[in-house]
Amino acid sequence: MALGDRVAFQRVYRATSAHLFGVAIRILNRRDLAEDALQEAFVNVWNNAASYQAAASQPMTWLIAIVRNKALDYLRAAQRHMADSLDESDEDGTTIEIADERPDPMQLLVQATEGLRIRGCMEKLDASHRQSLALAYYHGLSHSEVAEHMRAPLGSVKAWVRRGLERLKKCLESAG
Amino acid sequence: MNYDRPELLDKLASEYVLGTLRGRARRRFEQVLRLRPAARSAVHAWEDRLGRLAASVAPIKPPDRVWSAIETRLHPAPQARAKSSWLDWLKPVAGFAFGAALTIGLVLNNPGQFVSVDDVAQSKQALPQSYVGLLLNDAGEPTLLASSTRHGKLLTVKFLRPVDPAGKIIQLWALPKEGAPFPVGVVTPAKPSASTTLELRDTSEKLFFNVPRLAVSLEDAPAASGALPSGPFVFAGNCVKLW
Repeated sequence: MALGDRVAFQRVYRATSAHLFGVAIRILNRRDLAEDALQEAFVNVWNNAASYQAAASQPMTWLIAIVRNKALDYLRAAQRHMADSLDESDEDGTTIEIADERPDPMQLLVQATEGLRIRGCMEKLDASHRQSLALAYYHGLSHSEVAEHMRAPLGSVKAWVRRGLERLKKCLESAG
Repeated sequence: MNYDRPELLDKLASEYVLGTLRGRARRRFEQVLRLRPAARSAVHAWEDRLGRLAASVAPIKPPDRVWSAIETRLHPAPQARAKSSWLDWLKPVAGFAFGAALTIGLVLNNPGQFVSVDDVAQSKQALPQSYVGLLLNDAGEPTLLASSTRHGKLLTVKFLRPVDPAGKIIQLWALPKEGAPFPVGVVTPAKPSASTTLELRDTSEKLFFNVPRLAVSLEDAPAASGALPSGPFVFAGNCVKLW
């Protein structure tokens, strides 16, 4: 493998790993799992870079998607594990109790939309659509978890997510 | 489930990317992704749409052990530090375009900063179809950026760091997939951030369509067609199609 490629890979890691780690932590809420997810994601990036097609998606969104997918896989696995065993969430001491520190997903959404083309589109969504998308995207919540958080019926949440995504897409396409 | 229906694919793709597609449905969809390009395109489009939301998440520096673990897994054998001879460059390059699309998009535009997806999108849209090569020095630092429009005959070389040829000629070579390197032209030295141009003997497309790498050697005289480099390459990098 050419030396130049390895160095390029390291430069990409240096430029993006902090943001990607932030994304993973926000979903997993645990540093140890987020470290594993980040590692797995970058190994995946190296192994699949040859098949990355510039036309497929933007480089950064490709990286973000790989990290999110890994984080979501780990989240499901961790939840299954916890459901199977007795409650021992503090056993290894790496669970972060950051429920209070984590910025409200709505805040994150506001920050994300500032300065981006997506701003107008998100603002056009109904509040319930916006919030359910934010909870799913930033925290990796499932439909039922979103429903619990918003104290809303499951059916409504599914419809909000569905509508929110459809309207977002229409709006982004028209914004051009 | 009829995966040929575009609306269904789009709905599944959006929920797959968002993360609300779960369990067996998610695994089934991952199978569909492996088999159907239409599904992959739908997913990539949603990755671009939703990926913009990630820009607001505060960065958190990962511990160094993460990078060490990645390196150990990908490159377990100790690396020789000896300078490779130019003959090594003749080995066919694996289709590994890492240094190309990703590095140019991410590192050049915003080295060390988070790159907004819009920056990348806009910079790509602004470029005409071009062949682009990012040549690195021995330390792996980007040194020369060579670019030429696809059907043009002018090659622009931008100097990203100072280059002191010490009285020699900066000779640019193309390293085709198979066969020996062939000379492209002589690069006039310039200060960092400045560019020089050289005339190609044919269009970029004709010269570079089968060339995955470019390299530079320092010569006493401009290389004639059919000549070979007289010494090691001092800069080298991938040559890619940017369209």
